[in-house]
Amino acid sequence: MSTDTRADEAASATTDNEVGPDDGILAVESLRKEFGGLVAVDDLSFAVQEEEILGFIGPNGAGKSTTFNCVTGTYPPTDGTVWYKGEEVTGTPPHEMVKRGMARTFQSFAPLEDRSVLKNVALSMMDDKLVTMDGLLGEFHDEARAICERVGLGDRLYQTPAELPHAGMLRLELGRALGTDPDLLLVDEPFAGLSGPEVESVSDLLLELRDEGMTLVVVDHNMRGLLQLIDRAIVINFGSLLAEGSPDEITDNPEVQEAYLGGGLE
Amino acid sequence: MSDKSTSRLRLLLGQLNPLGLPLRQKIGVLGLAFLIALPLLVSLPVVGQFVVLILPASSWELGLYNVAAALFFAMFAMSWDAVSGYTGEISFGHGLFFAVGGYTSAMLNMGHGFSPWISVLGGVLLAAIAGVMIGVPALRIEGPYLSLVTLVAPLILLQVFIFMSDIFGGEQGLGNPENLVGLGFVSNYFLALGLFVAIFTLLWALTRSNTGSILTAIREDEDAVSAAGLSKAKFKIFAFVLSGAIGGLAGAAYVHTPVGSPTPSELMSVIVNVEVIIAAVLGGMGTIVGAAVGGLFVAMLPDYLNLVEFTVPVIGKSISSMSFFLFAIVTLFLLNIFPGGVLRWGIALGRRATGRDGGDEGMAADGGQSPEDAGTNPVAQTMERYQEYYDNMFGGDDE
Repeated sequence: MSTDTRADEAASATTDNEVGPDDGILAVESLRKEFGGLVAVDDLSFAVQEEEILGFIGPNGAGKSTTFNCVTGTYPPTDGTVWYKGEEVTGTPPHEMVKRGMARTFQSFAPLEDRSVLKNVALSMMDDKLVTMDGLLGEFHDEARAICERVGLGDRLYQTPAELPHAGMLRLELGRALGTDPDLLLVDEPFAGLSGPEVESVSDLLLELRDEGMTLVVVDHNMRGLLQLIDRAIVINFGSLLAEGSPDEITDNPEVQEAYLGGGLE
Repeated sequence: MSDKSTSRLRLLLGQLNPLGLPLRQKIGVLGLAFLIALPLLVSLPVVGQFVVLILPASSWELGLYNVAAALFFAMFAMSWDAVSGYTGEISFGHGLFFAVGGYTSAMLNMGHGFSPWISVLGGVLLAAIAGVMIGVPALRIEGPYLSLVTLVAPLILLQVFIFMSDIFGGEQGLGNPENLVGLGFVSNYFLALGLFVAIFTLLWALTRSNTGSILTAIREDEDAVSAAGLSKAKFKIFAFVLSGAIGGLAGAAYVHTPVGSPTPSELMSVIVNVEVIIAAVLGGMGTIVGAAVGGLFVAMLPDYLNLVEFTVPVIGKSISSMSFFLFAIVTLFLLNIFPGGVLRWGIALGRRATGRDGGDEGMAADGGQSPEDAGTNPVAQTMERYQEYYDNMFGGDDE
């Protein structure tokens, strides 16, 4: 009996919005992640188009981070398929995903506390090679310096992460992600704790990256600052898809308003 | 392209010019020059007598032997530093690699008649395989758990040596395999020094290249390494295999000299395992140079104490009879005074004294990180790492 209902569900899901490998640069089909008895992500399907900025929105605990941990290989998904650039990458380990051109920033900043901003960025530019002459002569640092300047840390190259203000930490996260030369960048909660002007300058940077051909997925639980930035949004709640569409369609959607209890949409 | 390689070459040559080196490296080059000149100096008429006075023995012949033994011990310490000092996975049983290298080579030479030069290679190979055997589990078992594994592994090997003593000689070891360069004081000294310089150069270059940055990044935060598109598994296994092979090389060469022989007490006793760690931490964990200097110091300090003919009045014991006890006390003090290692302390002191901030690898002059900053030295980083594992062990959350 239970197998029947599951089969039915699966059938309805696939008829509703079947996602295939060529539906976008990143395509996720029926992704499911369970922790013990808890279903964190419940048969979620979506696709990300090349050179778009997609907002990935949901209240706290909706499963946003878990989804991206499954996509980037941090956790193996319980079920479902992930395609990146048309290739199946389900369960590929994180460093392989980075090499394939998918980078991410962390919501809880994870810089290397023992080295300077410049060296943090330089690390992500290094080749995955065991024996190399690179770095012996310090020639790496020119490119790393350019990235630091790009993300607005040009005057803090030799400071340690502990000396950076909150916005600086976020910029460092972006710098470290950009150091891996990604085609798709997952940005986790970029605007949390930023002031108005800071939100604007980070948004400008993300728009600039998109104009250069990068695809961006911006994850956030509130929509402040996000709606001006994104082309399209996906809203999830309790691990499954709630709404999908342009920023206007999302804000007008009654279910989305319900999920946010009428708040957080201003 | 050729333009680029020319400029690389010029950069490299520029870095090798001894006059352009930072002060600390000048001191290092001088120290090395002294070690190379040592056998010549002792044969000079007047200078020789002074040099013998500073050697850790009563005659120059024994002095050279003792320094050679210390050089081997410094190689052991460097091999430990390459994996534990850099990745933060502390090995409490590095003697495993020295013993596998030493015993393999001795047995190939004595049992199968291979030339010691060939059998040493066999020792290196098997020690590298031992590195894989510790390195692969290290991907799943980490921190304190891995330390337990490394602690137990040599104990198991020792028990095998004891219950199969017809093959391995038990506690007595394997006697005397053929020497690589005979019994000469000078030739064995240069054998040890040559190997020391070769291992030092290899590890120094490797740890100063990007590989070193990646290994220390593993020590600081493994997730950050993955996020940079680098395979932490690959680098960890590499560190263990490299360390095992180098420890095995040092162990194998050591048993083929008059200063060492394949016995458990010389290669894999608990004291050896602990002394290697003390040497590297005392000198400066995660620097290679510190392990080299610390290794020489730890190996020679008891030799110096043995020379002291002074009897402590109240307890009626001579200094030389308590040399190991005193060594442990001195070490304990030094570890307390220089938690980041003597090398880091010395560099910081030198920078303050010369008013330099250490060139391009230094930090900003204001508010910059000083090398002995708490929380950023490798010992503190490793402690933090272990703390994390303990927290998780008792049900701490994953954040």
